[in-house]
Amino acid sequence: MKRLLLMLAVAGALWSAACSGNGIVNPPPPVGKYTKASLNGQYAFVTNGESFTGGLSATPLARTGSFTADGLGNITTGVEDVNAPGMVSPALQITGGSYTVNADGRGTLTLQLGQNSIDFGIVLTSTSDGLMIDETSNSSQSSTGSGNFIKQSAGSFQVSGITGPYVFDFAGLDGSGNPESFVGEFTANNGAASAGFFDDNDNGTFSSGSFVGTIAQDATLSSFGRGIALIAGQNYVFYIVDSTRVRFISTNGGMLSGDAVAQSNTVPTNVSSVNSSFVLIVAGSSINGGITRVGRFTANGATVTNVLEDTNDGGHFIKTDSGTNASIALDAANPGRGTLTFTDPNFLNAPGKYVFYLSSATQGVIQEQTVNNSGAVDVADGTIAAQTGSPFSSSNISGTYALNWSGLSLQNSGSFNVQDEEDLLSQVNVTSLSLKGAADIFQFQNGVPVFDLVTSGSISIAGDGTSSTGASSRNTMSVKLTKSNSTTVNFVVYFVNPQLAFFTNNQDMNRIVAGVLKTQQ
Amino acid sequence: MIHTNRIRLGILALGIVLGSSLSSQAQQTTQPDTQQLRSYNVSRESFLLGTVVKFATASDTPPMGAHVILQTSSGQIDVHLGNPRVLQAGHLELNPGDSVRIVGETLALGDSTYFAARIVQKGTQAVAVRNTRGFLTTPASVMSPAQKEALRGVR
Repeated sequence: MKRLLLMLAVAGALWSAACSGNGIVNPPPPVGKYTKASLNGQYAFVTNGESFTGGLSATPLARTGSFTADGLGNITTGVEDVNAPGMVSPALQITGGSYTVNADGRGTLTLQLGQNSIDFGIVLTSTSDGLMIDETSNSSQSSTGSGNFIKQSAGSFQVSGITGPYVFDFAGLDGSGNPESFVGEFTANNGAASAGFFDDNDNGTFSSGSFVGTIAQDATLSSFGRGIALIAGQNYVFYIVDSTRVRFISTNGGMLSGDAVAQSNTVPTNVSSVNSSFVLIVAGSSINGGITRVGRFTANGATVTNVLEDTNDGGHFIKTDSGTNASIALDAANPGRGTLTFTDPNFLNAPGKYVFYLSSATQGVIQEQTVNNSGAVDVADGTIAAQTGSPFSSSNISGTYALNWSGLSLQNSGSFNVQDEEDLLSQVNVTSLSLKGAADIFQFQNGVPVFDLVTSGSISIAGDGTSSTGASSRNTMSVKLTKSNSTTVNFVVYFVNPQLAFFTNNQDMNRIVAGVLKTQQ
Repeated sequence: MIHTNRIRLGILALGIVLGSSLSSQAQQTTQPDTQQLRSYNVSRESFLLGTVVKFATASDTPPMGAHVILQTSSGQIDVHLGNPRVLQAGHLELNPGDSVRIVGETLALGDSTYFAARIVQKGTQAVAVRNTRGFLTTPASVMSPAQKEALRGVR
């Protein structure tokens, strides 16, 4: 008890010290185990967002690349490929840079590209990976976006090591700037991609079928794990993380990017062997604007029960408390591929339909294929993951987490309010379901990110969704951000396990964001 | 800049689109079945002719985005215009009293309906705010592929 009181006293003193006299509140000094040495080695990174280089409108932007950190605060080398739809900048050399890592895992990363530089906020989730947001705001460009970085294994950079089945989710824009989701699987073998099968939602037009492709090492830049691929007729650059993960970015016909993840032999081949609860999250474009859906279901063979889903469709919030005619089916011809269907009693003429590709018994990608009146209701995809570790409580939802959300919010452009991209990256310590930490936020219309907001809030746990009173078993989270003033954003949260949760805002029609809460290791 | 160019190309094409779309459609008057209005179908399109009562880049009612209150012969109608930056990029300003023609259709959102604009025309200026499948012409994907990778939390 004395130790606790001492800790509280110290925390109080630090908090007081953090409050400056000009009305701006700063977070207390970070505590934790991380140092610059925690970021040491070669990392493959991706971000997706927007850039602004002048003119009236921002341009969508995707980055995929590799940087090398020396453990001392220096970026020694790297390369990135950039796709702004219709304008691909291949193999930009990262000539240097720097980074910081605070004790709490928050930090900064600057990549030097010759005379230009790009800046990121980072939060380490381990010494092998972390989350990042693009915080570039300089005289030559502004760019934002959310992403992550994962330590590469240089020993896996041979294409011959990319072998076996892989599941992928490439999302973004087609060649006409329309939303597109392209998910599927292929089998790699010595540079050939065969037995490919895809599901595509291109601007509301669904298609599926088989494909082949090629995967080739970049002889010049192979030391970065970089290579070139042809997947279903579209050109990509890729960066090998290791034999289990390859990061792709398209280089023609639009702007698609995403990872291919090795498919294990644990994927169920018979629906009768599927006995698990799952959490899903999809996001994308609907006819009403942006859309996010987060939900869960329990599968017992083909039978699906305990369907819960929360949707933010263009700022309109929908709670699905149950699903009728709910089932899953597996595609015998394409291992890991399956469908999930259920009907929200409130939307009888638009039964929810999803296609998924499992990379393991517990992980996969998922694409929404809901149709109403012969038309697609959205272009959205995301993640499906087995729900484990319940019951969730203050005893297991505890410790330090990285928190990231991305989406749209209403922002003031000076003369009027406009919807634009919003990206937030935070590190929080969760104790007794209370959140305390610090965050950076980039509301892109403002042109400059805001750093070091005091982050506080709370999580309310009602269950894992298996309760017979489904509607009452939703978990919620509120996040309060304070700098010179405060904003509170409210979310519905679905825990995948105590270390990982997906969330979307369930209030405020002027914000459509979804995100992840992920424990730090 | 690319985005702006795309919008300009879209504007050039609108004359053709408007010519075929507007001549064949009647102004909407029927009560919609909300269960059938959760996807966009150009075959259902109609047009509104009216005068701008109020234009707002943000609204108290969803969908999120710009709305215009239009005085039509059938009364006032709330029209969703999507991201106001698209209108701005197309150099189309909407002010009270402006006469406009809006091509679109009624969509359902929850239990209510609203008129979703696809093409906004003022005089000789026209801007496409949705594509022919109903998706807003600004990229509205709210979560990046990169973030989805993070969500997988595989590592």
